[in-house]
Formats: sequence, C-alpha cells, structure tokens
Amino acid sequence: MGGPDVRPVVILADDDEAITSNLAPFLDRAGFTVHVASDGETALELVERLDPDGCVLDVLMPGPDGREVLRRLRRGGRWLPVVLLTQVGESAERAIALDEGADDYLNKPFDPYELLARLRAVLRRARPGRRPLSASPTLRAGDLRMDRISRRAWLRDTELVLTPKAMLLLDYLLTHPDELMTRDRLLEVLWGFDFPVGTRAVDNRIAELRRALGDDPARPGWITTVPGQGYRFVARVDDAR
Amino acid sequence: MKWPATGTMLRILAPLLGGVALGVVLWATESRDRLYAAASPALVAVLAGLFGTAAVAVAGLARHRAAAAAVAAAATARDEAVRQVADEAARDRLRFFMRLDHELKNPLTAIRAGLANIEQTGGLALATAGTVAALASVSVQADRIARLVADLRKLADLETQEIEMAPVDLTGLLDEVAEAVGEIPAARERIIRVSVPRAPWPLPMVEGDRDLLFIAVQNLVSNAVKFSAPGDTVEVRASEDGDALLLEVADTGAGIPADEIGQVWQELARGRAARSLPGTGIGLALVRVIVVRHGGQVAIRSRDGQGTLVSIRLPVPDRARIAPDVAGLRHDRDTPGIPAV
Repeated sequence: MGGPDVRPVVILADDDEAITSNLAPFLDRAGFTVHVASDGETALELVERLDPDGCVLDVLMPGPDGREVLRRLRRGGRWLPVVLLTQVGESAERAIALDEGADDYLNKPFDPYELLARLRAVLRRARPGRRPLSASPTLRAGDLRMDRISRRAWLRDTELVLTPKAMLLLDYLLTHPDELMTRDRLLEVLWGFDFPVGTRAVDNRIAELRRALGDDPARPGWITTVPGQGYRFVARVDDAR
Repeated sequence: MKWPATGTMLRILAPLLGGVALGVVLWATESRDRLYAAASPALVAVLAGLFGTAAVAVAGLARHRAAAAAVAAAATARDEAVRQVADEAARDRLRFFMRLDHELKNPLTAIRAGLANIEQTGGLALATAGTVAALASVSVQADRIARLVADLRKLADLETQEIEMAPVDLTGLLDEVAEAVGEIPAARERIIRVSVPRAPWPLPMVEGDRDLLFIAVQNLVSNAVKFSAPGDTVEVRASEDGDALLLEVADTGAGIPADEIGQVWQELARGRAARSLPGTGIGLALVRVIVVRHGGQVAIRSRDGQGTLVSIRLPVPDRARIAPDVAGLRHDRDTPGIPAV
C-alpha cells in the first residue's frame, strides 16, 4: 500500500452478479479501487496483472473455487491479505484452514460494514512481501509458542493443557493480534454462527486461556479486556521460524 | 443465482413468484413512495430475488416435509424399514437445509449490500419518512429471514457436529441461565425460582458441552417467560433421579392446546399462541437435538390455560456420582429457603 491518499486496490471475486454489483460500489465509495472477478480464473489473472493490495474471495465459484484460488496464490508465494466469504456455520477452524492461509473470513449473509472493517483490518496488518501470521505454521509471542498444525502450545517449556475450543480461540487471537475482538465475533469463531450461548461462553474460554497463561486480568501481559466491548491480544506476535 | 439440477420448475416459478411478491410490496407501499420504489432497480431486483427464493424455498420445504412424512408413515410395519427411512429422511433434511441455506445466503447478502448502498449515497437523507420506514422494514425482514435460515442450518449442523464432552456443573449453569433470562424485560414481571438441591449432597456433574446445554436450558426458560403473563410463576428444578439428572422447567402460563402438543418438538412448529410473538419456531427442536446428542431424553406435559412442564433427563456418568447410591430416594420437591431469582 502506498501513502494515505492512495486508494488500496482490491479484487472482489464472486460469481453472483447481485452481490458484486452491490458490494463493488459500496467498497468503492468507502475508498477502495475495486476490480470484480466472476470466477476463480479471472481472480487469479487479476491478481497477476494488478498486484492488488487485497482480495475478497467467495468460497463457491465456478472453476477454481475461493479456497483453490487462495491455495494457488499462497503456493505462488503471493502473501496479499485475503478475506474469504464462507458458508454459514463454518467455524474459524474450517474457514481459515492453515494450508489455505486466509487472513480472515466472513459468513454470508454478512453486514457490508463488517466486511469493510475486516478488509481494513487485514490491510493494516499486512506485511508486504511477507507471509501473514494466518499462513504461518508456528507462532511466537514472548514466552508463548504455538504449533498451529498439531494444535499444541507451550509457555516456556511447559505444554498448555487446553480444551479444543480454547485452543481455537488462542489460535485466532494469535493470528489477529492488537485487534479489538467483540464477544460476538469470538462466539462466531468458536461456534461458526451466532449461537445464543450467552456472552459467558466467550468469557469462560478467555478465563481458561488466562489461567493457562498465568495472565492476571488486572495487569494483563497477553489478553486485555476492553470494557463493554470485548478482548484484545496485546503481545507482539511473530513467526517462530 | 445457482439452482439445483432438478430445479427446472423452480427456475420457472421463482421470477413469477418474485414478481407477484413485488406487486404486493408495491401495492402495499404508499402511493407517494411507489415511484421511488419502482425507480430503484437495485431494490426491485433484490426484493424479487428475496421473495422469489423464499417462496420457492418454503414451497420446497412443505413438499419435502410432506414427502418425508408420507414415506415414514408407509413404513411403520417393520422397525428396520422405519429406521432406514428415518435415516434417509434425516439425511435428506440435512441436504435440504444446506441447499436452502446456500440459495438464500446470496440474495440476503445482496439485499444488505443494496441497503448499505442506499444509506451510503445519502439516499436516506433525501427520502420521505414513508420511504425510510419501508427501507427499515426491508432491512428488518431480511434479518428475519437470515435468522430463520441460520437457525435451520444450526439445527442441521448440531445433528452431525462432534460434541466436545467435559464435566459440566449444572448448578452454576442454571444460575447463569437465570441471570441471562432475567435480562429479558418480560422476566421482571414473572416470579422465577431456581431450585437446586445442595443437601445431602450437591447435584452430580453431567458430561457434555456446556455451551450447548446452556442453549437448551436457556431456550426452555425463555419460552416459559414468553408464553406466560405478568404475575405467572416459572420454576426451574434440578434433581438426581437414579442414574440420571432430571431438569424441569415449569410455568403457570398459557399452556399448549392438546392438538398442538404432538408437534412442539418439530422444527418450524409455531402454535397458534406463538403467531403473534417473535421467534423462528426452532427453539424446542434445538433443545431436543441437543439433549438427544447428549444421550438424554425430553418430555413435555401441558394443560391448556394452566401451564407447561418440560423435562430433560441427562445421563450421569458413574464416576461423576460422588454421593452414595440413592435409588428410590426422590428429590423433586421444592426446598424452601432456596433464594428466588
């Protein structure tokens, strides 16, 4: 991305014209230069030709679908931020599969303003020319290390014992550091959709993580509470290798 | 828009139904706003897509349910045949929900984006009060359809999704449910009592997914609040019963008419009393799926005009029973002195 006055270029790939004809002008007015692709091949061509700042890919498209496009991009060493538009009911685990390395995802039917927020967040987080955290197999934050493929984590030399959902939450927080995570967002990560499990469901898992990390909520080193809004992972995260 | 391979009829019907639906919308729109609505192709297209798809989906749902019911009824002669048909029907239903979900999610996404466009271009600032109200209504109705579809999808997912089993303390969970339900405005006008035995020993732990069990109990308690009137009583009782944990949610509310009680566990079942209330008719179906996936059972008793009692029975694993065997001892009487919530 260039200076603040340069409009980021994004590819919007979806085979449904009703979606692209409504979303493209919306994103355009929000400050992006949008190029529309109606299938996977076109999306790949546009990325090749335009070297865009980011990409929004629908998972269901004719030809190579969104996941396949993403795999080909990553295989070709293209690390541009990608937001996947997924099916309702997909949890983060399925939506941001490591071998695909999407930066974020949204379940249809989503709120367009939410797409805007996510797109801005992944562009801000982008590390030009470098692999995004979401495509890294091993992450490190201070004394915390996570092997994302085997779903195991260590604090110094001690392996953390976590429930699968808490591990999923830790993975999502580590790949989205310094971002305000609302409870609703984290619920969606855990469950794949907006289950009325009560906000305690998220709070309980965060408490489990804090206990495992020995994090004091009053003086947090990893996860801070944003009163009335949600949580934020505040430690600096890097590839472990 | 993508259609299923067998959807020739649907393809023919969708635009027609969409057109009819749009006609109704235009007819129902105030005359001074009609021009605006008619002149907004994006709005027209998304509305036609929405209503067309919804109409086809609902027609398909009715047809699908009727077919599944007919098949199941014909096969009652042999248990094995019944099981096979039931399995097949369950798979069919799952596939159907996924197709329905898929066919509706794109039009709904487009509608939301269309509305965001209108808002973004300042269309709302120039619009008359009637137009603003009409757009707000489209937005609310789109959300409503999205919720319905998402609920059906959740139900389908829960039937197959792996359940994360861990010891769950129902005493704490019931307190949390009472707290959550207490936030519903109507709950303040009900007398809600939670009664959990603490003596001679506390409730045993059950094995399960805490979040899902929360959903099940919360659904039952909010239903009790929803289908009762100010001053009515809602009681949540938990007790140990043999090798199971019995959980009861009872209310002195409207009750369920005898001719409707058989259908309450089915998805989209909405009794006559529920028609004037918001909801998607998925709550009790969700409760049933969650309890059954935990190896438990559900039951309902109701008297029209007197109230309803829903009970959930969850298995208690041997190792969770910290108390001596209590077969024959019953704990289902309310204990005075338990704080009312």
